[in-house]
Order: sequence, then C-alpha cells, then structure tokens
Amino acid sequence: MSDRRAELERKKAKLQALKEEKIRRKREKELKDVEEAANRVLLGTDGDRKELDEMLSSLGVAPVSDVLSSISSANSITPEHSMNHTPDTSLQPNSLPNNVGAIKKRTPTLSVVAVQSTNIPPKETVVYTKQTQTTTTGHERDAHATDYYDEYNLNPGLEWEDEFTVLTYDDGQGEDEEGSLPHLGGFGSKLPPGILPHGLPQVKEVQPAVTALEQEQAKQEVKEVRELSEEEKQMIILSEDFQHFIDRAGRVMERVLCESVDFYTDYSGGPGEEGLDEKSHQRISLNRGFFDERWSRNRCVTSMDWSPQYPELLLASYNNNEDSPNDPDGVVLIWNTKFKKTTPEYIFHCQSAVLSAKFARFHPNLILGGTYSGQIVLWDNRVQKRTPIQRTPLSASAHTSGFQHPVYCMSVVGTQNAHNLISISTDGRLCSWSLDMLGQPQETLDLHRMQSKPVAVTCLDFPHSDVNNFVVGSEEGAAYSACRHGAKAGITDTYDGHQGPITGISVNAVQGGIDFSHMFLTSSIDWTIKLWSLKDSKPIYSFEDNGDYVLDVKWSPAHPALFAAVDGSGRLDLWNLNQDTEVPAASITVDGNPALNRVSWTPSGLHVTVGDNQGKIWVYDVAENFAHPRHDEWNKFLYTTQELRNNQVDEELEKLNFSVSNTPLSSMSSITSTPLR
Amino acid sequence: SNEVEETMKRIQSHKGVVGTIVVNSEGIPIKTTLDNTTTVQYAGLISSLADKARSVVRDLDPSNDLTFLRIRSKKHEIMVAPDKEFILIVVQSPTD
Repeated sequence: MSDRRAELERKKAKLQALKEEKIRRKREKELKDVEEAANRVLLGTDGDRKELDEMLSSLGVAPVSDVLSSISSANSITPEHSMNHTPDTSLQPNSLPNNVGAIKKRTPTLSVVAVQSTNIPPKETVVYTKQTQTTTTGHERDAHATDYYDEYNLNPGLEWEDEFTVLTYDDGQGEDEEGSLPHLGGFGSKLPPGILPHGLPQVKEVQPAVTALEQEQAKQEVKEVRELSEEEKQMIILSEDFQHFIDRAGRVMERVLCESVDFYTDYSGGPGEEGLDEKSHQRISLNRGFFDERWSRNRCVTSMDWSPQYPELLLASYNNNEDSPNDPDGVVLIWNTKFKKTTPEYIFHCQSAVLSAKFARFHPNLILGGTYSGQIVLWDNRVQKRTPIQRTPLSASAHTSGFQHPVYCMSVVGTQNAHNLISISTDGRLCSWSLDMLGQPQETLDLHRMQSKPVAVTCLDFPHSDVNNFVVGSEEGAAYSACRHGAKAGITDTYDGHQGPITGISVNAVQGGIDFSHMFLTSSIDWTIKLWSLKDSKPIYSFEDNGDYVLDVKWSPAHPALFAAVDGSGRLDLWNLNQDTEVPAASITVDGNPALNRVSWTPSGLHVTVGDNQGKIWVYDVAENFAHPRHDEWNKFLYTTQELRNNQVDEELEKLNFSVSNTPLSSMSSITSTPLR
Repeated sequence: SNEVEETMKRIQSHKGVVGTIVVNSEGIPIKTTLDNTTTVQYAGLISSLADKARSVVRDLDPSNDLTFLRIRSKKHEIMVAPDKEFILIVVQSPTD
C-alpha cells in the first residue's frame, strides 16, 4: 500500500515537475520573445540612435541619448495607459522593464515609444456592389469582361490591383462548358484554358476587411443616394461648375435639337414630295435670318465680321435699343451659320453702343469693339463673363481727348507676330494699339486735311495685306487716301465727288491674275455709289440706280467685278461690272423694307449677309455660277475699267464743249449708245 | 443662375421637346421639367446607360471619351450630353 502511495506520490511529483517545467518553459519562451521583441525594438532604435549620436557628436551637439536620459522617468508613466488595452499591448509593461533595464545596462538611450492601440475586430466578408442587384437566375452570368484590368475602377468592389473576379456560375452550368470556352478565351479570365469551371456554387468577389464604421457609411450612402434636399439642389445649381456645365451642354444641345432630321422618311410612300429647289436659277435667294428676341430686337446692326479661324462664325454688333433704356447699350452677338439653331453662340454686351466689332484676327478667342464713347473694348469668349474683360481708358491720349468721339472704324492689320489694331474716331484721330496693352495706344496720328481741319472719318478700308496705306471716307463727302508711316504720314490724296457723307468704302481685295487694289468703291447718302482709282482724283464711274441712301457697299472677296450694296429702302443689289454697269445684275428687297445698314460677304464669296435697323441679319445665298469668277473675269474687268475711264474722259470733254450744264445722265446715255471700240 | 434658367427655358421651349432633366454623377436629378416619377425613372436608367456607354468607348480606346449619346426610338429621341459631374437629358418627339 505504501508502495502504491509512494508510487502515486512519485507520479504526482513527476507530473507536477513536468507541469512546472512546462510552465517554466512557457514563461521562458515568453520572456525570450519579449526580450527578443524588445531587443529588436531596442536594436532598431538603438542602431538608429547610434547613427544619430555619431552625426550629432560630429556636429558638436550632445548625443540624443544624453538628452533622452532625462526623460527616462516619463517612460514609466506610459505603461499605465497601455494596461487598459487588449492583451496585445500587455507586451508593453513587460517590455518596458526590460527596456528600462536594458537602458540602464547600456547607454542611457531612451526611446520615446509612441503607444499605438489597435483594435482588430474579426474579419468580415462583405459583398457590396453599387449596381442594381438582381437575383441571379439560371444561366445568367454577368460579363465582367475587364474586371481583371479594372484600371478605371469600374468595379468598385475591387480595391487592390491584383484582385480579380472569378467568373461566377450557377449550378447546372456543366452542359454549357463547350459553349463557354470561347467566352473564357475572349474575356481573358484568369482560368487557364484547359481547366473548365466547375459548376459549384459561386465564388464572389471578396473585399478586404471592412471595419464596422466603413460598412455603416456605405449603408448610409446607399440611403442618401436617393434624394437631395431642396437646399442642396439649390446650392448645386448656384455652383460655378453647374453653370459652366449648363452653358456648354446647353449650347451643344441646342445645336442638336435644331438638327433633328427624320431620316426614316419613306420617299416611296409620299407622293407629295417636293422637287428640288427652284431657286437654283435665282441669283440671290434668302437662306436664313438671325434674330434674337432678347438681345437684338429693335437695335440697328452696326457692323459684321467673319472669323478667320472658323469661317462659319459671324460677329455682329448692335446699336442701343431705344425702347429699353435699362438694357446695356452695346450688344455683340456671335452667330453660327453651320448649325440651324436660332440662338447666338455667344452674347456679349457693354455699356456703350458698339459701332464696330472685329474678331482679333490672330487671337481666335478675342473680340474687339469700338464704341460710341470712344473706348475700345475687348471680350474673350473663353471667360464666362458677358462684359468686356478689358477696355481702353477714358484718357486724353486715346480717342477721348476732351470729348468722346465714337469709333466707327477698326481694323486688325499685320502678321501673326507683328499686328496692330487700328482705330479711327470721328475726330480724325487714328490710334494704333497693341492687343497686349490696351492702356495706351502705341501711336496716334491725326488726320487733317489741307487746311489742318480734322477729318470726320466714317469708314475705313485697307487694301489686302497692306499695313501702311489705306482709304477713309468722311462726313464731308470726300474720300481720302492716307498712310500711317513715312514722311507723308497722314492724308495723301483727296477724292471729292460725293455730295453727302460717305457711309461705306471698300477696296477691291480679290487675289487673282491682275491686281485691282487701286480700285475702291464708296457709297454715300447722296444715293450714289462711286468707283474710284487711287490714281485719279475723279471717280471713274458713278452708279445711280438707287432711290434711297446707300448705306454700305462691299466688293466680293472672290469675284473681281462683283460687289454688293444696300440702301435704306430694304434693297440689296449685286452689281457685276463685267455684265452691266447701268443696273445691278441681281437685286432683291428684304421683307418689310427695313433700312439695311450693313452688308458683308462670307469669305468664300457665296453668301451675302445684310443687317438691318431692326436687329435682324439676313443671309442670302448667291448662285455659284454668279458668285464664282471665270478665268477671264480679270481681263474683262480690266477692259471694263478701261472703258469706264474712257467714258469719263469723253464726258469731261463733252462738258467742256457744252457751255450749258447738261445732266450727267443724259450725256452718259448718249455715250453708251455710241458703239465702243 | 439667371443664365441657367434662360438656357433651360430655351431648350424646353424648343419644338418637340417633351422634357429636360439635369442629373448629377450619382444619378440624382437636380433640375427637371417632368413629374417626379418619370424624372426618377429617366435619371436612374439614363445615367447607368450613359456610364455603360462611356465605359464601352473607353474600353475600345482608352484615350477616347464619350461626348454625346442619342437614343432614337419609335416615339421619341433622348439626347444625353454627359460631363464629368453632370448629365443633361433632353427628350424630344420627332416633328412629323
């Protein structure tokens, strides 16, 4: 019995010993681990600190260790904080005594350990997709074509680049393996071609651990997506982004809306299909009108210009609207002839009536305007503002010395790198501006006549690619040629002939075989249009077909002998001097007979636009065979001008012969009745 | 916002236009001229379609991007002008 008890006791003792050994080993292991960890930490920091110390001592600064040793007491406080955390951080109190001990053993290096508590909840697999989740039925399978390449984060469920989704299959897909193989190849899934997908339940995309907080946020997001409160909507509407967006998208949308063509019409079904245009034989025909109810109503069109970069853009400036004094006086609209939409592309306004407007030829986004107050204003269509971004000052050096003189004439001359804006006001002052600096004109020149009386300039034209010489028309009824630079800067020649103020002047600008840039036309309040040459001070010819003020005249940019003229009774005339010099070759009257203030040709010479005093711009097509010159037009025109000159000489001779003043008309008719050489 | 109103009114008063909706990138309607149920329907469906169309265009050529989307049906045409943050949707019935 005692043996057994002894045995039992021995066994117990052994067991105990074993247990104790185990416990001891455990503790040792723990301690070792802790030591190792601490040592690692120490070593790590220690190593760095040693480097630091070396660096600092080399600089003469006390090594970090000395400094930190004073804070050693602080270390002992930190374990209290860490004791409250999860068992993970229980390492800290263990390590710290180790730490401190180690510190005391070695150099007094202290590490200020930033205690970071981490709370790692159990992993949760959360499946969350933003798209509408439909219940997968049967053989339905989403074609996640490029999830593997999810560069643009199309599938927000994949957060890591190398994550990918495995194609999911439902049960019973086994039969479709053959059919699905090409899909596999095509979609580039990760499964190698040989391995067929098993028809087992699905493997869905797995997100990295989403903490409870994130999950809640996601849930809230899903709820919030549905509605936005009124205030938020209002805030969004007032934000600048939104306005920009509406501006751009609205513009595009308007163009699209107007172009809605019904291309499903069945011609075989409709008997009432109209034939082709009958207007093909007409020389001028109305194409369309540009009118804006809000901005161009009741305003006279004061000038028109075409964009050199975008030939379909037409710039029109308008006078003030007497009926609405609260609206800005000056309005400039940019119309687009390419699209059918009836609203302007861009709307600009300014406080003073704009009398002349031009595209800055070498800056596609800038629009220049000369105003009634004598200021030059500049708009930029890149900016959202409708008001000018720059204007010239109301100072003495510009057009506004003393009084404010309206600027009726503007022109951009020069080349891409060396160009100027020339503006002339009604007091005869010519200013040359650089578009970079509108604060002050680069140079000014006063145009005086012989008796040093200033010339009241109403219109201006430069011959093609000439920056120095130009012609102007004045209120006194005389045209002048002038030059900007040179010894004789100023007026060079006078062309007297009109009995009323000159309203329009145009230099022949056609590039072709023969240069006719010495020929220019003037239109005047005295119901006539006169053709001049720079070399003669008397007009070569006078066109007297009009019964009202002739308000503008322009040569065609394509045809050397073709020009357009508009008058106050709503008539648009196209004259072809090679065909007939007595009557216009084509004439049309605008609906309602408004006074037509301005006429302009498209750069192609195929369309004519007229602006009237009600704010409407009419675009007319010119028949191509009429608008396009044939090869011999230049020679013919040369011949015509010769004839006209000869007629003029003859007429003068006749005048000298007859002492009694005869009417020019009868003498001219007598001349033309005689056969010419 | 006056210009915004002007533009929206102009578009809405165009010949044949049934409705105009502006939605933001999440598909929430911001401004609309249709009734609420129709608006919400259009907003949700069209914005997801526009997203899909954009991803098609981008997938075919990553340097490309969707500029406009037009859906013609027997009864209407839906014109969608997408942007980074907003989408303008206009429904027009053909003028016959």
